[in-house]
Amino acid sequence: MFTPTLLAQVVVNGLSLGAIYVLVALGFTLLFGIMRVVNFAHGAFAVLGGYALYYLYGQYRLPYILAVPLSALLVAVISLLLERCVFRWFYQKMFQSMIGLLGLNMALVFGSVIIWDTYERAIPPAFNGMLQLGGVILPLDRLMVVAIAAAILALFWLFMSRSRWGLAMRAAAQDVEIAEAQGIDTLSTYRLAFFIAIFMTALAGGLYAQIYALSPFMGDRPLVVAFIAVILGGMGSIPGAALGGLILGFTESFLSTFYGATLSAFVSFGVVILLLIFRPWGLLGTPE
Amino acid sequence: MSRLLETSGLSRSFGGLRAVAGLSFAVAEGEILGLIGPNGAGKTTAINLLSGVIKPNAGRVVFAGEEVTGLPPHHLARKGLVRTFQSTVVYGHRTVRENALRGAFLGLYPGVVPAFLGTLRARARRRETEDRIAELLAWFGLDHLGEAIAGSLPYGRQKSLGMVIALAARPRLLMLDEPVAGLAAEEADQVLETIRRIRQRGVTLIVVDHNMRFISGLCDRLVVLHHGQELAQGTPQQVLADSAVIAAYLGRGHGAA
Amino acid sequence: MASVIGAAARSTRPRISALHGLVAGAALLLALWPLVFGNKFLLALATLVALYAIGAASLHLIIRTGHVSFAHAGFMGVAGYVAVLSQMRLGLPFAAALPLGCLAAATVALAIGPLILRVTGKYFVLVTFLFGEILRLVFTEWTAVTGGSNGIFDVPPPAPVFATPLGFYYLALGAAVLCVGIVARILGSEIGRTIDALREAERLAECSGVPVIRWKVAVFVVACALAGVQGVLQAHYLRLIDPTTFSIVESLNLVVMNVIGGMQRLAGALIGALFLTALPELLRGYVEMQRVFFGIILIIVMAALPGGIIEIGARLRALGKAR
Ligand SMILES: Nc1ncnc2c1ncn2[C@@H]1O[C@H](COP(=O)(O)OP(=O)(O)OP(=O)(O)O)[C@@H](O)[C@H]1O
Ligand SMILES: [Mg+2]
Repeated sequence: MFTPTLLAQVVVNGLSLGAIYVLVALGFTLLFGIMRVVNFAHGAFAVLGGYALYYLYGQYRLPYILAVPLSALLVAVISLLLERCVFRWFYQKMFQSMIGLLGLNMALVFGSVIIWDTYERAIPPAFNGMLQLGGVILPLDRLMVVAIAAAILALFWLFMSRSRWGLAMRAAAQDVEIAEAQGIDTLSTYRLAFFIAIFMTALAGGLYAQIYALSPFMGDRPLVVAFIAVILGGMGSIPGAALGGLILGFTESFLSTFYGATLSAFVSFGVVILLLIFRPWGLLGTPE
Repeated sequence: MSRLLETSGLSRSFGGLRAVAGLSFAVAEGEILGLIGPNGAGKTTAINLLSGVIKPNAGRVVFAGEEVTGLPPHHLARKGLVRTFQSTVVYGHRTVRENALRGAFLGLYPGVVPAFLGTLRARARRRETEDRIAELLAWFGLDHLGEAIAGSLPYGRQKSLGMVIALAARPRLLMLDEPVAGLAAEEADQVLETIRRIRQRGVTLIVVDHNMRFISGLCDRLVVLHHGQELAQGTPQQVLADSAVIAAYLGRGHGAA
Repeated sequence: MASVIGAAARSTRPRISALHGLVAGAALLLALWPLVFGNKFLLALATLVALYAIGAASLHLIIRTGHVSFAHAGFMGVAGYVAVLSQMRLGLPFAAALPLGCLAAATVALAIGPLILRVTGKYFVLVTFLFGEILRLVFTEWTAVTGGSNGIFDVPPPAPVFATPLGFYYLALGAAVLCVGIVARILGSEIGRTIDALREAERLAECSGVPVIRWKVAVFVVACALAGVQGVLQAHYLRLIDPTTFSIVESLNLVVMNVIGGMQRLAGALIGALFLTALPELLRGYVEMQRVFFGIILIIVMAALPGGIIEIGARLRALGKAR
């Protein structure tokens, strides 16, 4: 069963799935690490990203390469309103944030049902072709997903490590009070972190909706995945979220190809539970 | 006098730091033993090891002729080994009396079924405990504050309450982690007096402090810790005359505490 | 000195008896409810509230140990499936199937409790979140036994007397009074004092002789067994058992009941159960709008009243005193 083509497909699928998961998980971990909010509404932002891509690319026929970042940008900008009216109440209040944002999730998901109904829509693929490399055939659209995600992640990395704002965000994640004492404006740092987190999540949601199908309930899976990836890597750790996302994407691609989706879910949940019990700070986090 | 507690080679490291290294000493029944040393010497770590809050990397603890190394705190408390905490720990949102009742868990709690049913035995235990606690609170001058919220009390009172909670468990050996640190001289003298009274009741004590003057007047014997290791051991006179102690400890910052 | 204590003890008495009066009044109202309001819809509503009161109160018990379980509905499901299967496949009577189901939930709780109750607050939330998903996966995927995502239909009524809505209402009410009563009694006794102690200062309680982990596991096991009562009764009430009734969403629902009512008091859990069961049912015609509305309420309550609805009472009282 291990033909080169199958193996290559498993790898590419794992990579594209992993890339999407990394984006979702990074957004989640950013919100947790910096503002200490557990964003139970994370999946809803992925859904919004999906609908934005559906309109910009599927309906209005913008060039794909433009439609993807634009749709994410659109969602992130509109979501700033939610930052102002909802998220701001829950900064640094971990427990309240869980419940309050659960409420937000409900409102957004069922709001989407009212607007778009529950049926599944398809976003047309960017490319239909296959790339033939020697004896190996690869789907082009999956490769495109990997390329886009890689570009965004590279930009994110540059931003976090080089820019003044990235440094401020990392300082705030370390210790808010010290950051404030150093003259960092926490409120605008928070707003920026929120913007970036939602941008990445919405982008991932668009790509995810394109691979699978778009509906208001699509967000559950990205939410659970973000959860697991972030726990796996360590709550609030940025490299941890990236590692967790990749591991999860590959495991899922591999296990579900060869053993079915159910086993894949059991294994990933089971491993994460064990990890949480014996190493609650995750693979790359630091113990408290 | 029989030995109530004996440790040998007790050690614990955190990462590369050897917080307690090869500590050996014995406490006789009815004695007050002082554990002394500068900041970071490993005193609290030693108390944590003896009370089971953390587990040793090496060494043994024998209590009342029984090996108790590595047992959890609730097990040790049941055997009569009870401690207070350096950074005062009380149930901050509860009344003083409620704090004391919680400390008395071992005497008060009658088992699941009697507690659930509120049997006569459970009620008898409750009355007995309340009387005992009233007496304890009076000892520490807290009797008129029974209904005050613990967290709103001044620092010295909270420290006293910490001792009440520990004593409510009816210890055979009570370990006090810096019972007078941060208290005014007058308050400190009162606490000293109380500690003596506790001993008169037949309780053995280990008292931690870094103030040599305070502790040598109180204790029968001293163990001096420095960088996790024992520097000297003996009566206060012996220890005060020990050249290693004078060089390493008293030499700088004597009486500064 | 003894008199000080005596006076204090006496001063708390009247408050307790006022509470007792309130509870007795509520019980009487509930018992007479169907006779006064002979309305089918209201009867169904009251039955649901009674069932959810069991789940919310039992979750409250776990919350009092300082752990918020997001797998509570999963344990309900374990009890529900075991009871229904033992009745429909093995022919056990309801009176045996119900305790058997609760025992099954308790057994699962006992198996994983010692492991998961070691992890602290937020990690416990995550662990139970995932464990709840695993339980749901088992319900969904073990098709041969559980009937997969279709579930099991035609669950028989517990007994002919309880086949009518009125009969079932009294069964549910009786179970709720019993279960909530057990929780209330536990919390009001020395057991409750110790539970509060180990939540508020675990280390200190342990040094006073409380075997903390063992206590937490015991409470967890009892609470999961009690939750099983709701799981079993609900299956009989709906005449159907399927994985959606025990999903994460349902667990979250129970957590939300506790949080929205107020987590520190049992009454909060009951208020939450009433609020969260009645409101959606009353707004049934507009399912989506209702959910949106509900989400917004959750946000507002969490932002403005972190102590839950029960805090309104405390705030009003404080206002009254201030005048
Ligand atoms: N849980 C821990 N993790 C890491 N290091 C620790 C821990 N507990 C203690 N230490 C370290 O062990 C050393 C001894 O600490 P300890 O608290 O026992 O000192 P101490 O004698 O009680 O000091 P003080 O007078 O300040 O109370 C210190 O260097 C401390 O930083
Ligand atoms: Mg210390």
